[in-house]
Amino acid sequence: MQLKSRKEYQGILVNGLWSQNPVAYQVLGICSALAVTVKMSTAIVMALALTAVTACSSMLISSMRKIIPSNIRIIVELAVISTLVIVTDQVLKAYFYDISKQLSIFVGLIITNCIVLGRAESFALANDPIDSFVDGIANGLGYGLILVVVAFIRELLGAGKFLGLQVVPGFLYDLGFQNMGLMVLAPGAFFVIGLLVWLKNSLPGISSQKK
Amino acid sequence: MFKKNSKAHAILFALVLSLVCSLLITVAATGFKDRQQENMALDKKVNLLRAAGLVDAGQNPGKDTINTLYDQRIKEVFLDHRGKVMETEDPDGMHLYFVHAQDAGDDHDFNNISGYIVPINTRGLWGKIHGYLAFENDGQTVSGFSVFSHSETPGLGGEIESAWFQKNFKGKKILNSQDEFVSIGIAQGKAGDLPKDKQENYVDGISGATLTGRYLSEGIKNTLMKYEGVSVTFRQKQLRNGS
Repeated sequence: MQLKSRKEYQGILVNGLWSQNPVAYQVLGICSALAVTVKMSTAIVMALALTAVTACSSMLISSMRKIIPSNIRIIVELAVISTLVIVTDQVLKAYFYDISKQLSIFVGLIITNCIVLGRAESFALANDPIDSFVDGIANGLGYGLILVVVAFIRELLGAGKFLGLQVVPGFLYDLGFQNMGLMVLAPGAFFVIGLLVWLKNSLPGISSQKK
Repeated sequence: MFKKNSKAHAILFALVLSLVCSLLITVAATGFKDRQQENMALDKKVNLLRAAGLVDAGQNPGKDTINTLYDQRIKEVFLDHRGKVMETEDPDGMHLYFVHAQDAGDDHDFNNISGYIVPINTRGLWGKIHGYLAFENDGQTVSGFSVFSHSETPGLGGEIESAWFQKNFKGKKILNSQDEFVSIGIAQGKAGDLPKDKQENYVDGISGATLTGRYLSEGIKNTLMKYEGVSVTFRQKQLRNGS
């Protein structure tokens, strides 16, 4: 196994973060993107957790790719991913109890996030462990990027807050300003994500339309 | 030794993988068990202290402070149906916590009780909600509310664990203006928008979490009905002291 040039890693990063962004281009991980984007804080923690799991599982699966029997590979991938998630959850509960309480069911839900399995299936099985690790990081961050942008918009419009701090000043409320209730609910996330996908794909330059 | 895609290879690989995975999970689950249980016990204590108003909602003063405060001020008791303290833990008894006005020492003086905490265990929208509702020793004024475990949607129903929602309960009453038991409910919207005579019995609701609010209101009402005997004892004592 040989380290590649910096440019190649940059290519992998750009793919995951932007041109083939898992949420905006591949439309994966939408379910959790709807659920955790009401507040910035949960979105950030979820993005970090998913990045760690995707990177580690991709690396592990990639290092076993030559001995994984192809007819049971999906089961193998899922077993690796879920073991990783459960162990992470136990460690969080033992050493970072507050964070694990905040994340509650979302740690378990990482297992069902299609991005993790998607990267294992489409990238890790065909590339070496270091590439796969970088790819996992890139896709996790790409997912995180969309999550944070959506959460920023939803928290600002839905609650008038930024990271839990009130940013819409009180006198605006006195003048009749109201929080947008729709943004707090799941449909709000659908609209925001839809607009982001449209925006990303209509941007010139490194958009996905350029093959 | 085997061909990569032979059946024997697949079976062997699956066996080894399951063994490794289950070993890892077992080690993680048993190895961290003590620490996790310690964390959970500490979390219960801090939430009891928050409900009692001894620790501010959303604050965590650290392990040692929590343990000292808890040992000094809070005592777990089981009462029988006539309101007598039972010596042993009894699942049929009423489980609650007494809050002491000052350090009670080892010898718990029951005249020194400044309030009591009722455990609330109810269903929520997605799973069980476990929390504590604390009362002052007049048997009707809420001194605080806290939640230590729930599986509601973060940002919506999950707001029940946020400081603003919990502070919301302080000073509310479970009796209406005619001194009848009405419990305490979660309003849809702001409690201030309700008719004047109802405001004391409602707290501000969470937008987007109507169902969580409804289940929690129901749960609090059912629990308080069961504990009404205890509350009445406190109210009567208050009357006697007052007259």
